[in-house]
Amino acid sequence: MTIKTELIDSLAVAEKEFKILSRRKGVIIPLLLFPLVMMIFFGYGMGGTLKDAPFLIVNSDTGQASSSLIQEVGSYTPKYDSYPMFSVTYSKDMSQSEAESKINAGVYKGALIIPPDFSDNIAKNQSTTLTLLTDSSDITASENIINTIKQLLTTTGLLKITGLVSLNVPNIYGNLEYLDFLTPGIIALTIFFGSVMTTGAAIAEEKESGTLVRMLMTPISKRSVILGKTFYQLILELAKAVILILVAYFLVGFRINGSWLLVALVLVLFTLGGVGVGIILSAKAESMESFDQLAMLVTMPSMFLTGVFFPLSSAPVWMQCLARCVPLTYAIDAMRTIMVKGQNLNAISTDLIILTLFAIVTFTLGVHLFRREA
Amino acid sequence: MEPIIEVKNLVKTFDSRGKKITAVNDVSFTVFKGEIFGMIGPNGAGKSTTFSMLTTLTKPTSGNIKVSGLDVGKQDDRIRPIIGIVPQKLSLYPLLTARENLKFMGKLYNIPKKVMEERIDYYLRLVGLEDSADRFTEGFSGGMKQRLSVICAVMHDPQILFWDEPSTGLDPQTRQAIWKLARKFNEDGKTLIFTTHYMEEAENICDRVAVMNLGKMVALDNPEVLKETSGSLNLEQVFMHFTGEGVCN
Repeated sequence: MTIKTELIDSLAVAEKEFKILSRRKGVIIPLLLFPLVMMIFFGYGMGGTLKDAPFLIVNSDTGQASSSLIQEVGSYTPKYDSYPMFSVTYSKDMSQSEAESKINAGVYKGALIIPPDFSDNIAKNQSTTLTLLTDSSDITASENIINTIKQLLTTTGLLKITGLVSLNVPNIYGNLEYLDFLTPGIIALTIFFGSVMTTGAAIAEEKESGTLVRMLMTPISKRSVILGKTFYQLILELAKAVILILVAYFLVGFRINGSWLLVALVLVLFTLGGVGVGIILSAKAESMESFDQLAMLVTMPSMFLTGVFFPLSSAPVWMQCLARCVPLTYAIDAMRTIMVKGQNLNAISTDLIILTLFAIVTFTLGVHLFRREA
Repeated sequence: MEPIIEVKNLVKTFDSRGKKITAVNDVSFTVFKGEIFGMIGPNGAGKSTTFSMLTTLTKPTSGNIKVSGLDVGKQDDRIRPIIGIVPQKLSLYPLLTARENLKFMGKLYNIPKKVMEERIDYYLRLVGLEDSADRFTEGFSGGMKQRLSVICAVMHDPQILFWDEPSTGLDPQTRQAIWKLARKFNEDGKTLIFTTHYMEEAENICDRVAVMNLGKMVALDNPEVLKETSGSLNLEQVFMHFTGEGVCN
């Protein structure tokens, strides 16, 4: 069996899948509607609180005013919480661009930069400016931080009384809305649901109706069958992603700040992993019904655990730990890093490594479990 | 007579919830080229498992099978193109038309396009489906589906045709049509092997009949000879004679 015939065989399978899909109008509509409805319903008004958010203070000043401000920030505990809001790292002599790059890398949720002459200027009654950087791709956390710092400046009397201190909040990623935060997550979630459910269900259905056994009675290799179904899924999921991005663009003017190619790369890797999961589940399921149950078990926790709808940083620690075990978390992180933060390959290398491993492991296991035997 | 399938000491055991079940227990037989070979036996006798192993779908626990001189398990890639299988389940894509179903099967066998088109037209006419060629099969009657399912299995012109329960649940007209088709394929030089519950059919059409019970092959011969040796009037009595009257669980 040469690679060429395997490819031709797999294309025949993919073509058949598309033909069947094009006739299932009842399936196509919800396929696209599901993510759109989620975007619209969840797109408006979702809040959250911050706990232990990693925060950087760059203080090049040694005076009284800055040290009291730092103390306030470090010990600040929100009204209904028993944990301090920030877990502060202190630094001296770090440039703004350096601090920005740390935020880009996801090390800190925000950074407060205090200029060297801060206390001096206040003592001399001269105006001075603090710079606050936030990770605005995490919209709720970002707003929370900005409001808190403003509030602290007021309570320490720096902002109001002297009237000399102003707060400069540069928007690193432009003006963002919750939908900007949501869109990459919804796309990743849709791809995950889509690839697991459609692949698995298609195989389970063919198993139940006997067409799978019939296909496997022919000279076609099981690799070709899986490859064909994967081609189909890749095209379908990428098309869905494009549609979602377009809808978000027309709805809120959503723009991709980073590279389209990187977005595609993440989606392809993640789809492969999802297809693998679908194959594994369908190999274990005897019928459509048992497949549905199994698939729910896998996809539902992913949906609520990972930071699709809310920033993980506002979730309790145990939940964050669980989320770290779910591949969807890394796909969402990578998507936000590229689409919202506009970062390059380096910023998502960890995510990519994990997603690649996910794809390799599930895909290999899927092919292994997918039996020719009836 | 030239043997086309040789089965030696075939055994298949399954693990079911920790219990070992022997579905096929040391079965040996030979099928000759050009014959119509029937397998009868009560449910659970091991017919379907034997079928699965002959058609390369299930690996035997032990024993040997040679199909047209090729080793099952070692040369499956060369066996699959020369055998055709009509599965018990109809196994058609409901949202593809009759023609598309046939085309898909043809593609899986890498049949050249022109040959494929000709064959599709020929077979659709043969089974009287030419007028429904471009309809989705979900709207087909049981008989139409069965006829289409049969010609899906012969698109690649196989030497041997395996046919699992061809007439179960069909009306007499369709059954007659199916058996006519079977004879036609046989006249074209194909070897036919099928399983059935309908004794009179096995009696009328098969050159030889194998009776299976509890995983063993308990008898194999010409229907006439089987009737004589068991002192029975028809194959139904032969069947009862060899397999007992109790219902198998």
